Amino acid sequence: MKKYKLKYKTRRKIDGFIFVLPWLIGFIMFFFIPIKNTILYSLNDVSVGKNGGIELTFSGISNYINLFTSEVMTDSKPLSQLLTTENISIITNLPLIVIFSLFLAIIANVKFPGRGIVRVIFFLPIVLGLSLITNWTQNSTGKMLIESAGGGMFGAKMGAGILLQYTFLPKSVVNFLAVVIADIFRLITKTGVQTMIFLAGLQSISPAHYEVAKIEGANTYDIFWKVTIPLLSNVIVFAVIYTLIDLFLNSTIAEEVYNFAFNESKIGIGSALSVVYIGNVLILLLVVLFFLKVVKIIDDK
Amino acid sequence: MTISKKAMKLISTVFFGTLVISICFAILYPVLTLLPMAFTDLRELGRPNSIWLPSVFGVNSFEFVFRSVMRGDATIMLKSLAYAASICFIQVFMSAMAGYALARVNFTGRNLIFFLVIFTFLVPRQSLLITQYLNFKHFDVFGLFHLILGHDIDLINKPVTLYLLAIFGFSVNQSLFVFIFRQFFLGMPKELEEASLIDGAGFYRTYFKIMFPNALPTILTVGILSFVWAYGDIYYTNYFNTDGPYFGVIIDKTFKDANNWYINNQARQWFDTATTNNLAFEALKQSSILTFLVPLLIIYFFVQRKIIENLDRAGIVG
Repeated sequence: MKKYKLKYKTRRKIDGFIFVLPWLIGFIMFFFIPIKNTILYSLNDVSVGKNGGIELTFSGISNYINLFTSEVMTDSKPLSQLLTTENISIITNLPLIVIFSLFLAIIANVKFPGRGIVRVIFFLPIVLGLSLITNWTQNSTGKMLIESAGGGMFGAKMGAGILLQYTFLPKSVVNFLAVVIADIFRLITKTGVQTMIFLAGLQSISPAHYEVAKIEGANTYDIFWKVTIPLLSNVIVFAVIYTLIDLFLNSTIAEEVYNFAFNESKIGIGSALSVVYIGNVLILLLVVLFFLKVVKIIDDK
Repeated sequence: MTISKKAMKLISTVFFGTLVISICFAILYPVLTLLPMAFTDLRELGRPNSIWLPSVFGVNSFEFVFRSVMRGDATIMLKSLAYAASICFIQVFMSAMAGYALARVNFTGRNLIFFLVIFTFLVPRQSLLITQYLNFKHFDVFGLFHLILGHDIDLINKPVTLYLLAIFGFSVNQSLFVFIFRQFFLGMPKELEEASLIDGAGFYRTYFKIMFPNALPTILTVGILSFVWAYGDIYYTNYFNTDGPYFGVIIDKTFKDANNWYINNQARQWFDTATTNNLAFEALKQSSILTFLVPLLIIYFFVQRKIIENLDRAGIVG
């Protein structure tokens, strides 16, 4: 009897391993070997040999040094400047997108007449957020015509003027708000999957939690901060990571990699940039996770 | 008292309604801006007074898209839909298997593999473009092809490359799908599986007869994401099979700025458009995006309700 059980367990382990095997083979072929080669190429001078093969001459970290000192990007800016602007825009957009999609999910979760059609529209960014589509819609002539006729982005400037004149908000805050408002159409196309993640999270919170909170005398504000947010903490982390990766996928750094490799045939430099790119993603991710820990979205268990 | 309460309710309803409508508008706005030019008669483009409504309604820009971009061949659309559907099918099938094993089978190295799944999701795919490209250019599986054929094979610009990526788990965002399936199967009751095992079903039968069919909410969620991303993907398709029948890639290539003159000229020949402006190019670009979107939107409308109703069971939450 005991022998049979042992056999069954090993058998199951083998079967399970067979299920992951395709992914594991893919990992080695399409991920591990490429990433290993990327690091290798970034440390070498890469040239194409006579028979189409690749010839490497070890050059240490000179590719990286060149990348940061002598090489320029397509718009003739140095890399450090590109990285700074990209990181700043990602860090400012990240919380906006996450908060905005949480907001959308909360509205989509409220019961009101016409909710069906509103939900259809709220999840449209999954389709409309494809980079193929946003690349064209963001600067189409039709949009420019409409905006020049409507006096800019629905009077974002005018709104900023009113805020400056009649409230006590400092100018920097108003400027920031104006930029966000002007950017709203672009930000909203990036919310599709995150709204979905948040709605899934909201739907999975048992109504009993809310009932208890109400009986205890909590108001809506308390319920949101003391019940909803803590119960959503995992979902928030997931949404934040997803947003960060998504923003990086569409950043201009990716285009520069392509440009170096295929337009300028500097494979070594392109690979070095790829490594910098991956490093940047991982470092920013750690910073964001650390921040989430500080604000207690991630709690130690 | 009651009046003020009623007034409060009215105000909050109006406020909420306005909010919802403005958000809906903000989401739809990019598409709405495409409509006026796309539905203007090509010969009447550029009239200063027409902004939101076409001055002369016409669909000849769509006719042009059909004749020029699709080269008079409607099957291009069907082909790219079929491509997206098959990639979607492969992705769901393969990621569900991997996700199930990672959630339910306690084999050696499971945690390491799960960590690798997350790690592959974190590394942006463009950063591996160069080496993946070279890898496919000189494709070889652990030296096997060299051993048998004596040379490696060139997989660039062959459709099989894209299917290989999907089968082995590295098509668009596939690690994310593995992750979602893992979360789903983790939350599934153990009793279901045990009962089936006690009844004498083996590992594979349990999975394909009990576990996989029960994952329907996740299959739908992952399926729609995978379909939309595969249909809209111009990254893998463009680099690894650039001449393939993918509508997105074709549009992307046709409407490069360098083609501006060519397209405008063609429009002039076929539809006798004005020689004074080059708006035909823009109008055609916008109508081709709309054409591209139509099948996607139709499918989305059919599937979205089922997905949203079952979201809490789809395993995204974990």
